[in-house]
Amino acid sequence: MASDESTEADAIGEDSSAESTVFDVTADYEQSTLDYYQNQFDIWVVEPFKILWSDYRGRFGIIVVAFYILMGTLGPVIVPAPEPNQAGRLIQPFENPSHILGTDGLGQDLFGLMVHATPAMLKMILSGAIAGSVTGVILGIIAGYKGGWTDKVIMTWGDTIASIPGIPLLILLAAIIEPENPFVIGIILNITGIAGASRGIRAQVLPLAEKEHVEAARAQGQSFSGLIVKEFLPHLLPLIFIGMLGGAVAVITASVALYFLGILPFTTQNWGVVLNIAYQESGAMYNPRARHWLLVPLVTLTLLNIALTMLAQAFDQVFNPRVRARHRGRKVEAEETDEEEATNVDSELIGGQMQQ
Amino acid sequence: MSSDTDETLLNLDDISVHYADESAIMEVIPDSVKARFDWEEQPVRAVDGVSLDVGENDVVALVGESGSGKTTLGKAAVGLEEVTDGEVRYRGTDFWELKENGQIDGTSFQQARKALQIVHQDPSAALNPYRTIMATLTDPLKRWYPDLTAVDRRERILSLFDECGLTPPREYEDRYPHELSGGEKQRVTLVRAMLAEPDLILADEPVSALDVSLRVELMDLMITLQQRFETSFLFVTHDLKHARYIAGKTGGRIAVMYLGEIVEIGPAEEVIRNPKHPYTQILKWATLPSHPDDAQKAIQATSPLRKRDIPDPVDPPSGCRFHTRCPKAREACVDESPEQYSESGDSHKAACFREIPDHQYWQSEHLNEDGEIMIPE
Amino acid sequence: MSEKIKSGPGRTETRDTVLEVRNVEVTYEMGRGRARVLDDIDVAIERGETLGIVGESGSGKSMFASSLMHAVQDPGVLNGEIVYHPEDGDSVNLLDLSTRKLKAIRWEEIAIVYQGAMNAFNPTLTIGRHFTETFEAHDVDPDSGLERARDIIKDLNLDPDRLLEAYSHELSGGEKQRALIALGLVFDPEVLILDEPTAAMDLLTQRYILEMLYEIKEEYDLTLVFISHDMPIIAGFADRIAVMYSFEFVEFGNAREVLLQPEHPYTRLLLGATLDLETPLEATHTIEGSPPDPVNVPLGCSFAPRCPISADRCEAEDPELRAEDTTHEVACFFPNRSVEEIGINTADQRRRD
Repeated sequence: MASDESTEADAIGEDSSAESTVFDVTADYEQSTLDYYQNQFDIWVVEPFKILWSDYRGRFGIIVVAFYILMGTLGPVIVPAPEPNQAGRLIQPFENPSHILGTDGLGQDLFGLMVHATPAMLKMILSGAIAGSVTGVILGIIAGYKGGWTDKVIMTWGDTIASIPGIPLLILLAAIIEPENPFVIGIILNITGIAGASRGIRAQVLPLAEKEHVEAARAQGQSFSGLIVKEFLPHLLPLIFIGMLGGAVAVITASVALYFLGILPFTTQNWGVVLNIAYQESGAMYNPRARHWLLVPLVTLTLLNIALTMLAQAFDQVFNPRVRARHRGRKVEAEETDEEEATNVDSELIGGQMQQ
Repeated sequence: MSSDTDETLLNLDDISVHYADESAIMEVIPDSVKARFDWEEQPVRAVDGVSLDVGENDVVALVGESGSGKTTLGKAAVGLEEVTDGEVRYRGTDFWELKENGQIDGTSFQQARKALQIVHQDPSAALNPYRTIMATLTDPLKRWYPDLTAVDRRERILSLFDECGLTPPREYEDRYPHELSGGEKQRVTLVRAMLAEPDLILADEPVSALDVSLRVELMDLMITLQQRFETSFLFVTHDLKHARYIAGKTGGRIAVMYLGEIVEIGPAEEVIRNPKHPYTQILKWATLPSHPDDAQKAIQATSPLRKRDIPDPVDPPSGCRFHTRCPKAREACVDESPEQYSESGDSHKAACFREIPDHQYWQSEHLNEDGEIMIPE
Repeated sequence: MSEKIKSGPGRTETRDTVLEVRNVEVTYEMGRGRARVLDDIDVAIERGETLGIVGESGSGKSMFASSLMHAVQDPGVLNGEIVYHPEDGDSVNLLDLSTRKLKAIRWEEIAIVYQGAMNAFNPTLTIGRHFTETFEAHDVDPDSGLERARDIIKDLNLDPDRLLEAYSHELSGGEKQRALIALGLVFDPEVLILDEPTAAMDLLTQRYILEMLYEIKEEYDLTLVFISHDMPIIAGFADRIAVMYSFEFVEFGNAREVLLQPEHPYTRLLLGATLDLETPLEATHTIEGSPPDPVNVPLGCSFAPRCPISADRCEAEDPELRAEDTTHEVACFFPNRSVEEIGINTADQRRRD
């Protein structure tokens, strides 16, 4: 094409020659690297945070999860480790300021027990939810995009795992492997999650791979990994995040259950351990003064689960381009454009009835 | 409009695109066994033995109905669909070989990939809804022109917005696709294609999803871009009127497809004014006139086709594929398959024996009992 | 039943009206304001005619179709009157009816083939099942209903056995459309509304469906309301034409007059932008701009921002439909100027007599 040669020449803003066309255009100003990174940070970190924060569920989720993270990281440093007989037994909650949640039947500070179990829990969640999710997503994308034998093999493996009943499988795996490392435990606990995630992602990828914008990206020379990141991922992110958070919930619940049942070794602190001891060893169910011993770990795990679930719901907003657009508010042009833009969106909904 | 250079821009040499849908089991069983028990899956022959040359600054409108293979042919031409047979050559080099080897002689795969772009029918599906327009458009620019800085890219995109009627350009930067109207989205996809400064753009029914009043506008834009930047266009459509407009205004050709083959090709106005192939004549007849009196008469007329239904592309009719429905078909058409002929030897060709004055077609029996059916104007 | 239509410009004769639309408007409350998606529509549809509605997306044509059956979806609110005059029996205002009585009219007297309904088949049910469900919903014995359905299907040149047992994915576009038409005809309605019946179809299929529609109109003695953005199709079918723009009728009258001697600038420009195979390529032109938002409809004439002959008056006042003669109404202050200054395709101009 005629303009090819002149593309290389950095004629900054010079459109004087008759040869130059729109393809020769280069900018006559500069943007500093700092500006660029600031802009990226805005888009990828600040904006999502603001969107989450504006939703009550997101706000709740962020606050609670942040609290737990603090609990798991700084907590064990600040709060003294629980030991038997560090205080009187079965002190009730909210009575003694130095043992705000009370103590258990062995005289251990319940708050300390919760806090010191959190790091391990966080590790499990990290490995289980994230590793499990990531694996599942990768498998799902490969299966969905490549198709053929790859697809069949991956799906068969996944389906087989998924068809084995969950708890017995976990019990079996735990009994065989006898894991002590929380990271390992986490992965085992979420193994069925991998199968589910890969199926779900594959189902989303199948129609996506046919989509026109994917084809256009291929025409523009996009590589396979580029396609995944730029064309598939944005569409899959809501599902992935929800899957991850669901995986976290699954890991939490499964771990507590297995510790409670005494299947996982007690070498690791866990809220389920506390429950186990409370329930099995000390018959806390029947002792009204020991009730808090049961309730505290229960509430701790439930609270985290709820927070994670709410966060998952709120995340949907982050990925929704309509919300993003509205959030960017076109704030500069304020009301007038806001209205136009809102009516654009809404009238499209109505227009769905009117348009071809 | 053919080029003067040695290498044709795009050369489709006897290409076929067949789809076979075999289950996993079938893939494992050896072919010999399948042949023995007659278990072989018949493929769908979407495109069957098509040859077409597209030059620099050339426009070809591919017309056909669904099942004609026009979209498949188009995508095969721009390397988005693999061919089962034959070669797709970009400036003399086989495209798929180029893809495997990365570079052959002086041509790199990058060059070929950049040179062949696409504009889709549905602008909503053609733009990633999760990315802003800017993000979508920046990617190709980064890839093809890595020397440009971020601000360079932005300026270039904005000036193309201007060129393509998206004004004021800054309005569109930060937008997500859902914030744009159908016409605007389609312009964006056009911008995306143009950013690569391609040699050829495949436009797949680019105006069919738009309102009537917007169609001419968009086609005019494509024509303007075509003429200014000398980009070749391969314009796929089911509507003869669109084909006439685009190919007519640019001095291009119209190629009519039926069941995977090109049955007629020639300069636009000629094909429209004087269609040689009975299928083209029927398509012309099927296009309603705009004058109410003519339109009313037309609605009431019966179709000259002998059969309504399109044959199965898995098992196309023998000989001339159109013979089962052709109002002028005769016995000769059942056995032999016509090549593209031109009686006068010019560029307007039709794959029909009626083009050959002394073919035995003229001696054979009509397939229709009552003789040849006339196709009304 | 004959009725004297409300007197007003252009409608002083007594005709046999089957469906009368008076002052109908449809509004939606949206966060930022009230959107009027159908604005003061008045039309008396005559028995046995084909009324063509020309409009692009966003013109309100589909909303008009829904309103004829009083089937505007929530949260849309319909105001005005829609009076149905059966051949024998009393006229009823659809808005006055109870849900049950309305159901008896909808589909049984007034039926519709929606745009894009081809994709609305339940993929897990056979076509036959769709029919039976419709019968059950209207308290009709499925067996006798299916008998009738089979006759209609045969009239549409399809094999009833094959069609009724097929799933929607097994059928071609043309077949699905015919199945929908059959579903619309199954209760022998008076009025059949067709919303873009041939959109997205192949040329030959389109032609075929149109031919079919022409035949069944005669045979089933129908009044058709035919909505399309495709001028030639309307030209081939309509007795009268209403041109819709921005939720109102901007031109209305005898089909031939509206098509050959249009007066509203929008109609003229639209005709000018319509492609065909004869008009010289240079004679085709476009319409600048895009239609207004339902919430932000401009004061005055809604077409003024895009109109090549708009004047100050057009921006201040909204023109009503007014008639130059008894069969042709136009909502424009300057119809004469419109005719003089805006050219339409020369092919039509040449053959205007």
